[in-house]
Amino acid sequence: MREIINYFIRNSKWLLFVFYITLSCLMLFQSNPYQHHLYMTSASAVASTVYSLSSNITSYFNLRENNEDLNRRNADLQAEVLAMREQLEKYQDSEQELSPIIPDSLRHYRFIVARVINNSVIRPHNYVTINRGSNSGIRPEMGVIDQNGVVGVVNVVGPNSARIISLLNPNFRLSCKIKNNETFGSLVWDGKDPKYAVLEELPRHTVYKKGDTIVTSGYSAVFPPGIPVGLVESDNSSHNENFFSLKIKLLSDFSTLNNVQVVINNYADEIKSVEESTAKEENENKPTSSNQ
Amino acid sequence: MTKTILNFILLAITLVLAQAVVFNHLILFNCAIALVFIYIIIILPLEASTNMLLTIGFLIGLIIDIFSDTAGLNSLSCTILSFLRNPIYHLYSPRDEEISGQRPSIKTMGNTSFMKYALTMSLIYCSIVFTIESVSLFNTVRLLTRIGGSTLFTFIMIYAFDSLSLSRREKKL
Repeated sequence: MREIINYFIRNSKWLLFVFYITLSCLMLFQSNPYQHHLYMTSASAVASTVYSLSSNITSYFNLRENNEDLNRRNADLQAEVLAMREQLEKYQDSEQELSPIIPDSLRHYRFIVARVINNSVIRPHNYVTINRGSNSGIRPEMGVIDQNGVVGVVNVVGPNSARIISLLNPNFRLSCKIKNNETFGSLVWDGKDPKYAVLEELPRHTVYKKGDTIVTSGYSAVFPPGIPVGLVESDNSSHNENFFSLKIKLLSDFSTLNNVQVVINNYADEIKSVEESTAKEENENKPTSSNQ
Repeated sequence: MTKTILNFILLAITLVLAQAVVFNHLILFNCAIALVFIYIIIILPLEASTNMLLTIGFLIGLIIDIFSDTAGLNSLSCTILSFLRNPIYHLYSPRDEEISGQRPSIKTMGNTSFMKYALTMSLIYCSIVFTIESVSLFNTVRLLTRIGGSTLFTFIMIYAFDSLSLSRREKKL
């Protein structure tokens, strides 16, 4: 017995080394980012406090660029509103009746404004931390956009902070389509340049031009359809395969992210419950159909 | 003794915060990043046991992981680095010159030896971190530029820190 204890004491540094290595590897190889524990991420209380303190100072640094982006976006939206108002008046003239105005509570999407307090672009798996959490109604798997386009999807939520899987993270795939074209593929980051991503799984017959806008498809409940994501930069692969991919220049500048909006889909729960009940029914039906 | 420990804890907190708030966002040429917190492992006292080294290394790595959302990556690398600390130190510094309470620095090791020691530690750490990090997205050229650039940047920062503490101590005397 004594010899065993002595053996352990003599080799304690090796045992401790192996213990720490195992512990780190367990954390490292938990590849699904949705399983990360809140305390082990930048959305934890201490880390998010430190980051919001430092961002109180650094958030002023990119104000000029942000303001320019906002002004540009504002002008675009203004033009869109005017065009839509014109169209609405035209329809009202032809139908001679007011279309009922949708009350706020029934609107499909709401937006919560949040400030980015931590952000990375150089790592192979990038995350963004924001200063809003469950107290503001944010929950996992909500979409996040900024004034230029898509930023990412919420994954770990603390009371007053949340961690977002950035678009610059290979774990995140976004369903997108080419505007005015309706062919859709999935956008994923290839880990090389934070300014570019790859739109994959496009059918071979897709028609595109350089400079075409890529927007969200709206096939998931996370993002509304038509949110801009990027511009087509160039063709990326040989045409031998059935599917091909495009190099996309991202519209959001991830190195100067400052203010973002979290998309709240009022129907998300409903869509999810319908999907789940359908899946359940299918599962229940399976054994009976096999019995018949 | 208590004063030394307190000083050390203060330095560790400062360096970890500096890493999280400043150096993680300071990227040169889209490849080089300074991992300044390994300065804590570099200057741990020589009389500290390997168990102590391992524990401090692991904890520092864990805190950095929490701040930069790299679950397990830095704690793994820091554990390996603190395990290799003493062998690397003895590679450049003769064993018989040890005095109690001594810690590796320019003053105790001499300029050239400390430069070699710090450069080796930076190179080992950057190699481990970036190799593990790029397993999923492997690209040899990018990996090598990241290791090279970050090693140099880290080494320069560590050398600067140590020179600063050296000049401050000389003023006191």
